[in-house]
Amino acid sequence: CRCRALLSRPAGAVRARRGLAAGPEMHFGFQTVTEEERREKIYQVFENVAKKYDVMNDSMTLGIHRVWKDILMHKMNPCPGTLLLDVAGGTGDIAFRFINYVRSVRQRQLQRKLKHHQNLSWQEIFDSYQKDQFNSLGDSQVVVCDINREMLKVGKQKAQHLGYSEGLSWVLGNAEELPFDDDKFDVYTIAFGIRNVTRIDLALQEAYRVLKPGGRFLCLEFSHVSNPLLSRLYDLYSFQVIPVLGEVIAGDWRSYQYLVESIRQFPPQEELKAMIGDAGFFKVDYENLNFGIVAIHSGFKL
Amino acid sequence: VKCQHYPPARALQASAALRRASDEHKKEPLTSSSQQHFDSPPAGHQPEQEPQGPHRSYTGQGGQESEDYESEEQLQHRILTAALEFVPEHGWTAEAIAEGAKTLGLSVAAAGMFHSDGSELILHFVSECNTKLSKLLEKEQKLVQLGEAEKKPIDEFLRDAVEARLRMLIPYIEKWPQALSVLLLPRNIPSSLNLLTSMIDDIWHYAGDQSTDFNWYTRRAVLTGIYNTTELVMMQDSSPGFEDTWRFLGNRVADAMTMSNTASQVQSTGEAVVQGLMGAAVTVSN
Repeated sequence: CRCRALLSRPAGAVRARRGLAAGPEMHFGFQTVTEEERREKIYQVFENVAKKYDVMNDSMTLGIHRVWKDILMHKMNPCPGTLLLDVAGGTGDIAFRFINYVRSVRQRQLQRKLKHHQNLSWQEIFDSYQKDQFNSLGDSQVVVCDINREMLKVGKQKAQHLGYSEGLSWVLGNAEELPFDDDKFDVYTIAFGIRNVTRIDLALQEAYRVLKPGGRFLCLEFSHVSNPLLSRLYDLYSFQVIPVLGEVIAGDWRSYQYLVESIRQFPPQEELKAMIGDAGFFKVDYENLNFGIVAIHSGFKL
Repeated sequence: VKCQHYPPARALQASAALRRASDEHKKEPLTSSSQQHFDSPPAGHQPEQEPQGPHRSYTGQGGQESEDYESEEQLQHRILTAALEFVPEHGWTAEAIAEGAKTLGLSVAAAGMFHSDGSELILHFVSECNTKLSKLLEKEQKLVQLGEAEKKPIDEFLRDAVEARLRMLIPYIEKWPQALSVLLLPRNIPSSLNLLTSMIDDIWHYAGDQSTDFNWYTRRAVLTGIYNTTELVMMQDSSPGFEDTWRFLGNRVADAMTMSNTASQVQSTGEAVVQGLMGAAVTVSN
């Protein structure tokens, strides 16, 4: 299976990375397919895994994906009033974390304000409570956009179950052609989703378009491990354990085989950084988590 | 052309468009009060910036006219300058930077370009203050050279220079202890130490110090000590107009002068004593 990787990788991957419309051959995992086929296949993959998506995430990454997403949120450090667009946000992990973060920042803000109100009359204190109480999020909002209806459905159910309602909206849309106006959002995130986008350059251009000037692009994605020993262990784990877990837990070996292969086909850190720069972003940088298993890329629209 | 050696050799189009729009509309008198002096023009000198030339040096990728395109650093500089006016309310934090970015028409997410502990904001402020101090001292020197003002004696000069520099902290005095603690973080110590020493160098330079011997180090060490202790006294000074601080400063400068006089006296006394002993030895041997 490793020689298959070496053979199919240059051909499909190179064209895929250049994203030429003239060459409709793309990679789907280690297979070579056309653009249309790829989109369909990916849609099916996520349709199949939607219900077990979260469970599988936990078991494959041993729960570490939660830490990765928390780190992403800390890196974003949003202040109340931020408008977030979470693309390929499916089951809402990033959106819920965003709401929690902004809520706690807002709490601290209000507490600080109250500390200063030491000489106010009771009436004034009452008034300030009235004003701020209905604003527990400080006007922050998050829009979750996903191309897959099933994933959105699971996300909405989760939101209802966990009690998230304020400041949250769900939109069906394609990352390559976002249904939003220009210059709308403060932050654009795509966590573990850009790998599944067929034309990454288009997605990056759309991200640039919908961000406000000064807005930030954040991408959390599996990436390449440079350490050779770790890389071998990681490959072993990926190709031997994960598809088996997929079969046992979700009853779907193929989808998880696709997942693991797509990680190998994805451009490495430096290349993605160059692509983000090409889309027009400035101050593009990346941070490796877990030695490169996951990387957070960040860029600003300046 | 000129921009070839910088990898991101592109114009910041979004911010340029914003600035053009805002320049047309705003005649905001931001310098209305003495507190708002910090709106220095972006093409001014920033000690920590890479050498770039005037901010017209970039041509856009489409070969457009580069009227007011700027680099990332200049934009960051502008954001930090705008953020300073929110420091009294929010402290030296990412929130202040976010508010500053908002006033420039940028998204609050632009604050993500900087550290969340506000280090860059504080370092920017310190470097701006040092620049202002240099300009002030240069102006005074010009007046002296033109004969329009008297040359001050050293202790008065030092006292006035340190006082002028510390007065720049007054609008931010409540949050300054926080800034001091951030400046002492290991990560920031090289930069903050650099800024401090260059400021002290500046003051001595305009004071007319041209020593090339060990005095150079002694003088700088002494003045650094005076500056730091006075700054700390100022932190917890609640007297009207900070008069206790200025009195403390005057005393320290006077001490320093006395000490240097004493040092030279000790030296000459020592020499005299040695000569006396030599004479006695010669007499005795005869």
